[in-house]
Amino acid sequence: MPSIAACNSSPHKVMVPVKSEKPSEISPSNAQSTTPQKRKLRSNGPLVQETLVSSLVKRKSPRRCLNSSPISPAIEIEKDSSKQQEKTCEIPPKKLHDNFTGKPSWNPRDIGQISALKEALHVSTAPSVVVCREDEQKRIFDFCKACIEQEKAGSLYVCGCPGTGKSLSMEKVKQHLVDWAKEMGLKCPDMLSMNCTSLANISEIFSKIMGKNLPRKRINGSASPLQHIQNLYSQQQQSSGSNMTLIVADELDYLITKDRGVLHDLFMLTTFPFSRCILIGIANAIDLADRFLPRLQSMNCKPMVVNFRAYSKDQILRILKERLMALPWTVFHPQALELCARKVAAASGDMRKALCVCRSAIEILEGELRESASNLSSSAVENELPHPQTAPACEFFKKQESMIVGIDHMAVALSKAYRSPIVDTIQSLPQHQQMILCAAVKFFRGGKKDTVIGELNKSYIDVCKSTMIPPVGVLEFLSMCQVLNDQGILKLGQCRDDKLRRLNLKIDAADITFALQGVRFFRNCLQ
Amino acid sequence: MGFQSQVEKAKNLLRTRLCNPNFIIKPLSDSPDSNYCKLKFTISSSITEACNNSILLVGPRGSGKIAVLELALNDLLQEYPDTISLIRLNGLLHSDENCAFKEIAKQLCLEHHLLFSKMSSFDDNSQFMIAMLRECGLAHKTIIFTLDEFDQFAQGKQRLLYSLLDAMNTVTSQAVVIGVSCRLDVDQLLEKRIRSRFSHRKLLFLPPSKEDVQRLLEHVFSLPTDSSFPHDYAAQFNGKLQNLLADDRFKEIISSYLDLNSTINHLVRFLFIVVSLWESKSGFLSLENFKSALSSIQRQPKQECIKDCSILELYILVCMKRLEVKEQNSYNFNSVMKEYRSVHDSFQTSDYYAWDVCLRSFERLIQRELICFTDNRAHGQSVEFRPVKLLVSYVELQGGLKSYRSCPIILQKLMDH
Repeated sequence: MPSIAACNSSPHKVMVPVKSEKPSEISPSNAQSTTPQKRKLRSNGPLVQETLVSSLVKRKSPRRCLNSSPISPAIEIEKDSSKQQEKTCEIPPKKLHDNFTGKPSWNPRDIGQISALKEALHVSTAPSVVVCREDEQKRIFDFCKACIEQEKAGSLYVCGCPGTGKSLSMEKVKQHLVDWAKEMGLKCPDMLSMNCTSLANISEIFSKIMGKNLPRKRINGSASPLQHIQNLYSQQQQSSGSNMTLIVADELDYLITKDRGVLHDLFMLTTFPFSRCILIGIANAIDLADRFLPRLQSMNCKPMVVNFRAYSKDQILRILKERLMALPWTVFHPQALELCARKVAAASGDMRKALCVCRSAIEILEGELRESASNLSSSAVENELPHPQTAPACEFFKKQESMIVGIDHMAVALSKAYRSPIVDTIQSLPQHQQMILCAAVKFFRGGKKDTVIGELNKSYIDVCKSTMIPPVGVLEFLSMCQVLNDQGILKLGQCRDDKLRRLNLKIDAADITFALQGVRFFRNCLQ
Repeated sequence: MGFQSQVEKAKNLLRTRLCNPNFIIKPLSDSPDSNYCKLKFTISSSITEACNNSILLVGPRGSGKIAVLELALNDLLQEYPDTISLIRLNGLLHSDENCAFKEIAKQLCLEHHLLFSKMSSFDDNSQFMIAMLRECGLAHKTIIFTLDEFDQFAQGKQRLLYSLLDAMNTVTSQAVVIGVSCRLDVDQLLEKRIRSRFSHRKLLFLPPSKEDVQRLLEHVFSLPTDSSFPHDYAAQFNGKLQNLLADDRFKEIISSYLDLNSTINHLVRFLFIVVSLWESKSGFLSLENFKSALSSIQRQPKQECIKDCSILELYILVCMKRLEVKEQNSYNFNSVMKEYRSVHDSFQTSDYYAWDVCLRSFERLIQRELICFTDNRAHGQSVEFRPVKLLVSYVELQGGLKSYRSCPIILQKLMDH
């Protein structure tokens, strides 16, 4: 885990003295990876900014922005660009290393910019173009197209880890289908999408399908909705040319019961001779179709499986850049984005996590700026600086103003996301509870898996004797074990007699050893 | 006013302060690095930027999680009066999703002055919640869900959590979900799709450091020097307080108390006992109050019971201990008497009593629950033949013997064997 880097070790400040001699050149031996297109972009500076500005004006936030008019950021950027051209001779090194993609760097103090940025990176914002899922979308789209063209029913199973873009891709495919059907002049299929967690009763899914198919027909009391649909699909339609129904069932594993009846019936609906539904199920398990629908294989109508694999590092990086491309400012250092993508891809490949980590990196930057602003204002209040000396302070202030999210912020955000609080908690436990943990580690070192409280008490008293600390009484020992149980460090069983309650460690003994290694007292204890 | 009434007024003030969690948590929440500031910043940025957020507060029981949350929410309710709706759920009461949705619907109805019908079904309630989220999102109102005992919600199918977090994934809703739990591994209990939707933000509530404890004590015990209190008395009290806080013995008492359980709640309970033991005769808090409070909290009831035993009863207990050490797993009164006789033979003690007398003190020990029968049935067997066991541990027995007023030395020697 990268340690928390101090603010001063930001890579930007290191570069400044090197660059001051040659202001107009772009040194190719730059430590940070600069794209070779940089020179071109700088010469086309105003042109690039104009197109970006126009795209920003089109993209309005649906929510209330504190800077209400969408034109105001444009004015700021124009001012910024003019300032840039003025200052090119004055402070070129600063602009150089902030201008990775040719865009001006953002102003972290502008609330409008912050809210636009956070919205671009929010999990609930659906991007206009879904990248890195073109293959999967194409497969689903082709399947639905074939079903509609041939007026045949079919079933499809979409699976993948959480955060891999399944529901998002389904929305896009649905839109595509509607457009395509209109274009080809075919009848647009009825869309029914539901989340199986919101069903109070599992068989309600059939009444929902009924409602979609035959909204005007009333359900007879005698036949259940399932039987109605089955009857419907086994007879020739009177009115030919009725629409197909596209059913998308999200979180399909909530429909799994012990006898798997509902799931079977749902997929069997597509096997009836005159069935008109296209069923698409979404879940996490890869082998759901094999494990829970064995009968379908014998009937040779197993659903087609589309697997959404976890995102790789390049895919995550591409998606993040795509989201940030719409903004006219540079916010992230490219290596910071790469670090985030690498770490998230190695851990789970979950896109939501990557977006969360980026947002918390922005918040860390905000926190830093607030702190430095409050320090600066307090120091300015304390000592009255004479006028020529305020210039370097303002210079420092301006330098911080154009700070972008760097590797150190991203490293802190990643460590917060992936760090477990166990080591910190063990280090801050009171002394006797730490000794109980030491006694437990020593006791379980012999290979035993669990014990009773009475035995642990004996071990604890031995530890106390060896370190000359008076042990606490049984009642306090019991209450300390209970506190550790509440926190999830130990696990206590139930028993009428307190001393015979079963007990085992829920955390790794290595974690405890690591947490307490800094204190010599416990190092000796654990010897 | 008279001296006594000043002291009474001071006592009342201190007791009121100790019972008010907001007051206690304030000195620990001042620094910008504290959990209070981080929590407030997260919630207020979600409100102003109109985005959804979720956060988890984790820490041992009594470390001030709910107090900090209440403080932050009160401040935010004052800052943004009309833009916040608060829904509180508790995992011990509402872990079943039917109950939870009913409660959410009820609280939403109360907040927005709508009528709530008890006959509404689960479906109705969940549709209502989703509709309210959408409406409040359009009206730029944020709904804050507080889930207490969050680990209880993570049992079973976790449908409530899924519905809440999924509803937050839409662009139109504006909600903040705050989970409070005392389990460190609570996010491992969540299903992976819920963990993916829950943001990884966690605030860890650690026990206060020694400097924080000093600051807290000063904050709680300093009398105000404004007009509500007589100035001379307050100044004198504060001066004596400063001396006390700098005393090494005082620091030792506090740290030995916090070695067992260092949460704030525990410390506040101790301070309350200190104030209660403060007599009105002495006008100021002294070290003696703290010492007597410590000893009154750290009582060993069984050891005190042993102090009241007679010498014969002590002999019986020590004999039973020797039998247990000799790994005789089950023994009864007869075996104890055999041991007693052998002790008398080897050491020629002067305390040798008859069988009936010993039986009577044996029964008294049973009544006092220092020993008990190992089996619960009393099938006609008399007391002498039923197996018994000790209910005090050896450490307690030794401690009791040490503090006994005139313990025969032979007993202590027997214990050491």
